Amino acid sequence: MRSRKEGTAPSAVSSFSWLVAKEYRELVSSRAWWVLLLAMGPLVGVTFISAVRTYGEASGLNGTTAGVGEAFSPLIGIWAPTFSACEVAAVFLLPFVAIRLVAGDRQSGALKIEMQHPMSAFARMSAKAIVLLAGWLVASLAPLAAVALWKSYGGSVYAPELATVAFGHVLNACLTIALACAAAAVTEHPSTAAILTLSATVGTWILNFVAAVEGGIWERAAGYTPPAMVAGFQHGLIRLDVVLIASVFAMAGLALAAVWLRLGVPVRRRVRESIALGALATGVVFACAFVSPSWDTSESRTNSFPEADEAVLGRIRAPLRIEVHLAPEDPRRADLDRKAIAKLRRVMPVVQVQYISATSIGLFEQTAPHYGEIWYELGGRREMSRVTTAEGALETIYDLAGITPPIEKDEDIFRGHPLAVAPKGAAAVFYGIWPAFIVVSAFLIRRRQI
Amino acid sequence: MFQARNLTKRYGRLTALSDVSFSVRPGEVLGLIGPNGSGKTTLFECLGGVLPLDAGSLVRDGRPMTGRERTATLFYLPDAIVPWPAQPVRWALDFTLGFLNGRAHLRDEVVQRLDITPLLDSTIGSLSKGQRKRALLAIGLLMPQPVLLADEPFDGLDLRQSRDVAAALRSYASGGRTMILSIHQLTDAARVCDRFVLLSGGAIRGEGTLDQLSALATARGGAATSDLEEVFLALT
Repeated sequence: MRSRKEGTAPSAVSSFSWLVAKEYRELVSSRAWWVLLLAMGPLVGVTFISAVRTYGEASGLNGTTAGVGEAFSPLIGIWAPTFSACEVAAVFLLPFVAIRLVAGDRQSGALKIEMQHPMSAFARMSAKAIVLLAGWLVASLAPLAAVALWKSYGGSVYAPELATVAFGHVLNACLTIALACAAAAVTEHPSTAAILTLSATVGTWILNFVAAVEGGIWERAAGYTPPAMVAGFQHGLIRLDVVLIASVFAMAGLALAAVWLRLGVPVRRRVRESIALGALATGVVFACAFVSPSWDTSESRTNSFPEADEAVLGRIRAPLRIEVHLAPEDPRRADLDRKAIAKLRRVMPVVQVQYISATSIGLFEQTAPHYGEIWYELGGRREMSRVTTAEGALETIYDLAGITPPIEKDEDIFRGHPLAVAPKGAAAVFYGIWPAFIVVSAFLIRRRQI
Repeated sequence: MFQARNLTKRYGRLTALSDVSFSVRPGEVLGLIGPNGSGKTTLFECLGGVLPLDAGSLVRDGRPMTGRERTATLFYLPDAIVPWPAQPVRWALDFTLGFLNGRAHLRDEVVQRLDITPLLDSTIGSLSKGQRKRALLAIGLLMPQPVLLADEPFDGLDLRQSRDVAAALRSYASGGRTMILSIHQLTDAARVCDRFVLLSGGAIRGEGTLDQLSALATARGGAATSDLEEVFLALT
């Protein structure tokens, strides 16, 4: 880059581009990033090869009996497991790359020089975040190589669902970057930042566990943790509330990092600003939780009822109340939530669900009166069912509404994409070519920089 | 040019700077001298805006300078830093010139005067202490601010390099640049500075030219001398 004309105030755009270029150089100089890239190949390789084998066997490979058509969705069979490597990398590798980029400036003293530019701390953090995200996208070339291999096998690729899975993992990476940046800015030492970041991740796991046991508000909160968020995207579901809340968390993390990177501001003021930021973020997150639009991008409509049913359900304006007598850890409750209630929430204007149970596991409630009952109330009429499938729920609702169930057209039924192939060449790509390419690139790019 | 007024910095119960006041004149080389732990680096960090002050301000034309004015006036070059250790010196100069809108026309001259041409392709992390000091001084001299605060600019330099750097600093000061140098080696300070601020125990013990400080030392019962070391010992 060339320097600008002297004697004039540095333009914000020029300074920002200098900073982005500097962060890029720092990223490329960082061994942590090259390790992340190196590890992505084998990580994706393990999951992709295993997924293709299982998919192939379920499709009749090696003389096995083929399963039912609905099971052959590449979204669930290939992309969810393959991209899960990204989740592992985002949790265990990406934070170290981000911490290195933020804490490195502080440790080396570079921050003391850079902060003498009047640029806002948030702009500084944004430059780091942009470069880190770009670094993550480069790492995401490994799962994209898996997509190319799958296509070469003759596998089906449904772009919207694949894009949704990829988007979910990018959003998850944004959260990780923001969290790690905040931890690196708040703490004095990179190792403390790493412990803090991993603690936050473990904290979300604990929240998921508590949610599974306690249900209620915990369950609602756990729905916005990174693992739950990624799970939704891996099923091809884009929920606007999840996207908004993840974005708010990511922005809040970067803003918190910016607050703590202003070394010249008294600590007490930074603490006050952090509290205000936390309160603001909490308020916005709370508001976003009431946003309901969602889109099912899966080819198999795994998150939706058949189109004909959705059209009928959408016309029911009366609120639907469901009283579920199942404990949080009862697998039937998870079944009902996933197969019926989540889908009903997406199409009906008002769905109120109340869970009733005396214990968390439900094992000793089986003989209690009403346990296992699911009561539906619509337009002043009530009906009980014990069925936890989508068909069972729909049947009861149609009965209450006095509607004749629509007939699903044969062509609307997802028949699946069975593919009985072995993961030919994948091992060579992910265990040989990818690592070799990364090592050579690291050597050449780092040498060119110097 | 500006005055530092009643600068105070505390770390918990420890008062690192106590009501520190002094003035800075345009084009001078002002030496901040004091023993180890006297608060020199803390004072520089506060002046440079990388540490918050508990009290006091920088005053120009009778009113406190804003943060933006301070950033436009002072450039602080910290001691004992290894910024961008994986990057070559050439890139560090280009980056700071571009990012901080430095004096690009002086680049070659500064590089030559500080004898860092052979270092341009070396990474900053691979430089010796003295080499790094010269590379960082080059950054400081290229910055656009009229005042350069350099913390221990001679630390790590051998005798010849110290003399060359002192000559370079004096030369740029005579060209209108103001230098405030924190120096713990009094021989270096005597060689390069026009005036001195004596700091000890976080408080100012004297401010002025060597003659003025010598007179102050004599007034306080010390022997009459024009040796900076003797003056320093008498006043601290």
